[in-house]
Amino acid sequence: MPKHDTPLLDQLESGPWPSFVSDLKRQAEQNPQCWDILGQLELSYVDKITHWKHGGIVGVFGYGGGIVGRYSDVPKQFPGVAHFHTVRVNQPSSKFYNTKVLRQICEIWERRGSGMTNMHGSTGDMVLLGTFTEQLEEIFYELTHDVGVDLGGSGGNLRTPSCCLGKARCEWACYDTAAACHHITNAYQDELHRPAFPYKFKTKFSGCPNDCVAAIARSDLSVIGNWRDNIRINQAEVKGYLKGDYAPSGGAFSGRDWGKFDIQKEVIALCPTGCMWMEGDVLKIDDAECTHCMHCINVMPRALRPGVVTGATILMGAKAPILDGAQMSTLVVPFIKMDMENEFAEYKAIIEKAWDWWMEEGKNRERIGETAQRVGLPAFLKVMEVEPIPQHVKEPRSNPYVFWKDEEVEGGFERSLAEFRKKHPM
Amino acid sequence: MGYDPANPMKDRITDIGPPHYAQFYPQVIKDNHGKWLYHEILKPGVLKHVSESGAECYTVRCASARLISISLIRDMCDIADKHCDGVLRFTTRNNVEFMVDSAAKLQPLVDACNAHGMLPIGGTGASVSNPVHTQGWVHCHTPATDASGVVKAVMDELFEYFTSMKLPAKVRVALACCLNMCGAVHCSDIAILGVHRKPPLIDNDTISAVCELPLAVAACPLGAIKPAKGINSAGEEVKSVAINNDRCMFCGNCYTMCPSLPLADAEGDGIAILVGGKISNARSMPKFSKMVIPFLPNTPPRWPETVAAVKNILEVYAKDARKYERVGEWAERIGWEKFFEKCNIPFSDKCIDDYRLAYTTWRTSTQFKFTSHIK
Amino acid sequence: MAADREQIKAKILEEMAKAKKPALYLKDMHKWLEDVSPREIKNAANELVKESKLKFWSSGSSTMYTLPDRAKDEDARGV
Repeated sequence: MPKHDTPLLDQLESGPWPSFVSDLKRQAEQNPQCWDILGQLELSYVDKITHWKHGGIVGVFGYGGGIVGRYSDVPKQFPGVAHFHTVRVNQPSSKFYNTKVLRQICEIWERRGSGMTNMHGSTGDMVLLGTFTEQLEEIFYELTHDVGVDLGGSGGNLRTPSCCLGKARCEWACYDTAAACHHITNAYQDELHRPAFPYKFKTKFSGCPNDCVAAIARSDLSVIGNWRDNIRINQAEVKGYLKGDYAPSGGAFSGRDWGKFDIQKEVIALCPTGCMWMEGDVLKIDDAECTHCMHCINVMPRALRPGVVTGATILMGAKAPILDGAQMSTLVVPFIKMDMENEFAEYKAIIEKAWDWWMEEGKNRERIGETAQRVGLPAFLKVMEVEPIPQHVKEPRSNPYVFWKDEEVEGGFERSLAEFRKKHPM
Repeated sequence: MGYDPANPMKDRITDIGPPHYAQFYPQVIKDNHGKWLYHEILKPGVLKHVSESGAECYTVRCASARLISISLIRDMCDIADKHCDGVLRFTTRNNVEFMVDSAAKLQPLVDACNAHGMLPIGGTGASVSNPVHTQGWVHCHTPATDASGVVKAVMDELFEYFTSMKLPAKVRVALACCLNMCGAVHCSDIAILGVHRKPPLIDNDTISAVCELPLAVAACPLGAIKPAKGINSAGEEVKSVAINNDRCMFCGNCYTMCPSLPLADAEGDGIAILVGGKISNARSMPKFSKMVIPFLPNTPPRWPETVAAVKNILEVYAKDARKYERVGEWAERIGWEKFFEKCNIPFSDKCIDDYRLAYTTWRTSTQFKFTSHIK
Repeated sequence: MAADREQIKAKILEEMAKAKKPALYLKDMHKWLEDVSPREIKNAANELVKESKLKFWSSGSSTMYTLPDRAKDEDARGV
């Protein structure tokens, strides 16, 4: 029986999209605190304002992250959600699960929490939504002992790394994103569970420039798969597309009649560098001019594939707008190998160099992209021990204000005024 | 035998990390890891991947509301146990994917998802994919709007675009309930963003007990907060802050650091719409979303103004854009002045950047179109 | 030669007790220990947490350290 009337939320039970309200009501039969979730949310729908308060000291002993504290500001009305702490559970790479593990976690969460989750949170964790302080150690014990899963990150830590599907089921992955994500997560457990940095630090692994985990928009260290040799062409399959045997983009546009596939209009003319052309029915690519945008490969997946000399491009500094406006990651290292054989040594050298500098130079609550912007890209590249190359900019600077250094100018900055005045009396 | 509060360190396990992913792979994925040759989208939400070995993997993608119950997860497990050898996965955009290794197993799986009622199939190719979103009023302490409710209302209206592939390109819709943008909506085709419009209140009864005043002062990116004396409700002078309201940009960062500076407000809060962002490097470089509607009111439970605005932009785009053009690529080709005209969205000074580095968005050219904006 | 772990920990506790602010960032500890690497300070502070001599305070987005008896938490706010 519903504990509270929810006439506004009830209106979100109709319509074709899955209704979280219906779902909450169903779960309330097992976890009565869901009635209080609904009750407090209904109050927010009436008041048009949230009724949750800040966090505080909640967590499991010895971890600085993984639990986000939350309290109701109307606990007397909704005692079931007086505490509503979140447990972030580190997801397996690419979010594959067997039902045994999922059912184990569901069982723990039915006994010890609200029964509500996010599958998954924005960063990538499995989010168990809403429990009381006294349950936290119990939940942590059962997760680590019975299920073999650990908590993810929160606060000024390495946040839970995440990755795309990668080689598991994608023909475009230029490195094994799942292996990289798993290995790096385990290599930096201390940084993930205990505060280490001025602010949060996110790293995400995408297998190709399509960037399905949005690494370039939302990770401080974005690792995006890339290739540096030639696009592999299967000319027989190109002819298949020309003849209309295959739908472009694997059929991604089949809901509308866009007419017969036109390779000139749909591929060659849309290539941003104009490095493709047809010679008869043979497709030619000048790979030296290619910027690896993926458009042609996306449109003709049977005919074109990324090359075989593969690795990743490293970009750094993305963040959401708070405070200095949103930033996307900036190219830092054009190409590294991402190999399990050397345990991703090139990646580790980059992340550790960046951390050592940022721990020293970063201000409190300053993301590394903001620190880099504060000191300037040239100074940041120096920190990263990367030679400046034209690829680091969209275009060279248009203002003339170069910060020359003493040692870069012949004779240095120290000069004798007396010598100067000998030739130029006042 | 379980956790012992009297002896919390006994048998404690820490720093084990996530379970190894490979144990959760379906057999066909274990066998064909790194050998995939190409894929096809058989129909909306149904993918077929073909390996060099000739093996095939069929995937059915279903939307979830992101905020989901363990009952629903158990339903998903039941389907996976019955059809997929007990394995499933989730996507970055909160979809659940069920995989089988032969065409014969596909239809029973599709039927099972359809029969469930809460697992709509779609979100592939030139569709509106499942919106990523944040917590909103259901869990967050700083939101300017709800998340799950707005997304539900919007997707009820855009549902046909989730279950079909008739748009000029994929359209990524995302919602973040405040400027913190936990959902990283800033590179989405259509971003729904919760915004505050009133400066913080100052609670002098609690501020010295619960806030570190120097942190609250330092939290303001525009230096609008200064240390000052305040008077509490008992008439006593307390250490507090003063806020220069003219300089406030309503980011809420001070409230994050100091709970005694609340800025949420029923009338002040609402939704801004930003469009034209993209993540993928295909054709044009990744782009930020740009603000086209600075404010729409919070009108729960179904936010009709927001739903109408999103649907209008989507449908004008669907009609006008060329094949493969993302929303931002379309807007740039026709010009933003044409975007406002075609979408019949009033342009205002609120859409002109006046924050730091604003100049990069100002037009320094005689190249423009004589749209209806020029009187 | 950097100070040893126990010396760093003692310095942190000493300064934490003197500090005006009850909650401090790792960054704030750097100025007490200028010759010590940030990583070493982090490890020392986290060891103090393990020994229950410091506590974490988290806003969710950032994390600070407090002495256990100086914590401003929900209990202090009368929840």
